[in-house]
Formats: sequence, C-alpha cells, structure tokens
Amino acid sequence: MPLKVALADYGVGNLHSIRKALENCGAIVNVIEDMSLLTEAECIVLPGVGAFDKTMERLLPYKEDIVQRLNEGVPCLGICIGMQIMFQNSAEGEGPGLGFLHGRVVRLKAPRIPHMGWNTVETDDEIMNGVDDTHFYFAHSFHGSPEDGSDVGHTDYFGRIPTLFHKSNTYGTQFHPEKSSFAGMSFLNNFVRFAEERK
Amino acid sequence: MSLTKRIIPCLDVKNGAVVKGIKFLDLKDVGYPPELAEAYEKQGADEIVFLDISASAEGRKTLLGIVEETAKRLFVPLTVGGGIREKDDMRAALNAGADKVSVNTVAVQRPEIISECAKDFGSQCVVVAIDAKRHAGGWTVYTHGGRKDAKMDMVEWARKVEDLGAGEILLTSMDADGTKDGYDIAMTKAVADAVNIPVIASGGCGSPKHILDVLKETRAEAALAASIFHYGQWTVKDVKTYLRQNGVEVR
Repeated sequence: MPLKVALADYGVGNLHSIRKALENCGAIVNVIEDMSLLTEAECIVLPGVGAFDKTMERLLPYKEDIVQRLNEGVPCLGICIGMQIMFQNSAEGEGPGLGFLHGRVVRLKAPRIPHMGWNTVETDDEIMNGVDDTHFYFAHSFHGSPEDGSDVGHTDYFGRIPTLFHKSNTYGTQFHPEKSSFAGMSFLNNFVRFAEERK
Repeated sequence: MSLTKRIIPCLDVKNGAVVKGIKFLDLKDVGYPPELAEAYEKQGADEIVFLDISASAEGRKTLLGIVEETAKRLFVPLTVGGGIREKDDMRAALNAGADKVSVNTVAVQRPEIISECAKDFGSQCVVVAIDAKRHAGGWTVYTHGGRKDAKMDMVEWARKVEDLGAGEILLTSMDADGTKDGYDIAMTKAVADAVNIPVIASGGCGSPKHILDVLKETRAEAALAASIFHYGQWTVKDVKTYLRQNGVEVR
C-alpha cells in the first residue's frame, strides 16, 4: 500500500509543488484543512509557507494531540516554517509553537538577510543517504536553535546554523526540498521510504 | 561551502506564451512557459522568473493558469512579476504557485504595499523590482515599464524598500538592458553595497563573462539573463561551468 500523507493546509500560500513532489515519490497526498485529522494520519507533512503565528493558528487547538503522535513515532516532515513551529516559541511570533522540539527559533545573524538561495547541508544522517548533490534551496530570516540535540545537519552561512533536525520519526528541514530540484526530490524520496517503513 | 551565486533565466510572458524567440529547445510547443521553465531547471537554473507583459486583465488571468501548471512540474523557485497592482494580485499569484512576487510601479506609488505584503506573506516572497537610469551624479528610478521618471534616487529607494520589508531587490539597468554589453557594474555595486537584502543584477547580459564580472565585482547574489539562454548561445550549464572555472561558487 502506498504511503498516505496528510499535508497540512494552514490557509496561506500554495501547496502545488510539495504535493506534486510527494506524489512523484509514490505517496498519496491528502491536503488537510481540518487539523484534527492530523492526529489520525499515518504520515504528516507540515509545509513551509507562512509566518509563525499564522501557521500555528489552526494547529493550536490540537497541539497536545499532535505532539503525542509525534512522540509515539508517527513519521513527520516539517519544512521551513513547518519545522520552526515544532519548537517552543519563535522570535518571529508571539504565540507558542508545538514544543515538540526543545529550544526556540531565533533571528539569523548575517550581513545579508534573508538567507536566500542554494547552500549545502553537512550531515551524517541516513535521510541523506544517496543524495549526491547536497545543495538545497533556502529562503529564511529565522532558524531553529535546539536544546535537545535534535540538530543533525548544519549549513555554513556567516556561522554554522542548524538546518536539519531529527527526533523520534520526525524530520525538520530549514531548506525547501520541494524547491531543490533533483537533490530535493532525492531527499523526499528517502523520506517517503523512511515513512513507509515506520507507518 | 557556503551560499552559492544564483543564475536566473527570465521569460517574458504575454497572454500565456513566451514572447521572445527560444531556439535551443527541440519542443513542439516552443512558446509554452511551463515546458521552458522545466527545461531550464534541467540545465541547472537556480530559479525562474516569469515577467508578465500582457496588457489586458485577461492576459493576466491566463498567466495565473500558467503559473499553476508550472508549479506542478517545476522544482526550483518561481518568481512572477509584471502588472501587480494590489495585495490581492500578489495573493493570487502566490496561491497559483509563485514562490515570490515582484512589484515595481505599485511600490513606488504606494510604498506601504511592501510592508503589508511582507507582513501577510513573509519578506522572502516580496521582491521589489527597481528599474533605473544613469543621471548626473547617480541613478534615477523609473516606473511603468521604464516609461515614467519617478524622480527618485535609486540608492535611497533601495534602502527604503529594505526598511519596508522587501526580501530581495531585482535591479535592472535601463541603460544596459538590451545592449548585450554587460551589466552596469557601478550601478549594481551602488545598490548591493547600500542594502542588507539580496540583490539580483539584471540588464545587459550578452555573455558568460558579463555574469562573471557582475558577480565578482559586486556583492550581487544573483544574475538574471534572458536572450543569452533563449537563443541557445549558452546553456545555464555552460555558464555555471565557466563561473566555477573562474572561482565563483555555483550549484
């Protein structure tokens, strides 16, 4: 049976590319507007569109249940803001995040912000196995700063910033795999295989 | 390794079709933007820009359909510009599948639109396009596709759009545009040194050497080009090989 992915629609931005990319990797994608459905999903993808508070708005009522599912090991991928909301809070917003990852989201310190364009990710994590070119597309002004050792990949941008996170069966990426051409597709393919084995 | 410089092919789209002749591709439907965008991605383009030059509302509507079709097959960022008049136009373009939207005339007329859009959609998707022409002692901003003098200093305007929350500047030299004599280095340098947001250099590209020059001699993060790619003189891959040989880091 193909993997069924629940793709969260926070009501802002488009999900065309991530949806198509996951489908290309063999997943069946259900776009979810009712966030309570995330708690029943066999695999969750939190996409990377929008700002912190706006993105959390629809998720907030189900915060405890979602975190419980993540801790139980449901496979999940959070992209950019979809990863940042897994932290406890953010310098970008006022409200809380999911708090699944310990730590907060902080503003980038660099002479050029946003960090915009293609940069590499250094990691030993298995999710990057077979991904030949590790250039990925970034477009962000904030980044996660974990206190739980969940950062498994880093990127050099006026300092070493955490850009790949792994805890339980959840992955978080600061980069956008759905905008990262062949490397991104290869990464998403690895994630879909990872999720299939653990659903 | 660190952030690489970006190479961005630009497609002029009118009523849903690419206007400038494109010779490098062996495609049946030569003017179909989603197919061309996809072909450029395969060559190694880091991003694609669609510039809508439709004069009618109908042409714009057609473009959104094209953007949606493109987003389903393109896996690099897509920027859409041209004819954005209000926040809802930007929303519509983003919902259709654009990753970034560029504003020009409307930003000059109503600068607060930059902060409104940055707040709602995030700075990273708000690109301000600045068209400028050399004048005594500096450069002046033009709007309406270069037809109207906005009587504003380019560097001051660039600083202002950054303050208002723009995520990037697409800087076009009207003097250099169409000449194929190279980018306006002094102009690009003036803006790229004045702001802390990324700058895309545009206008005047006629060879890979021009791209090398603007990326080496200025702090611009990206170079945009149209005809050198469209006419098949060089592929994006050729340009990147050349840049790499000359010490510029690219993907």
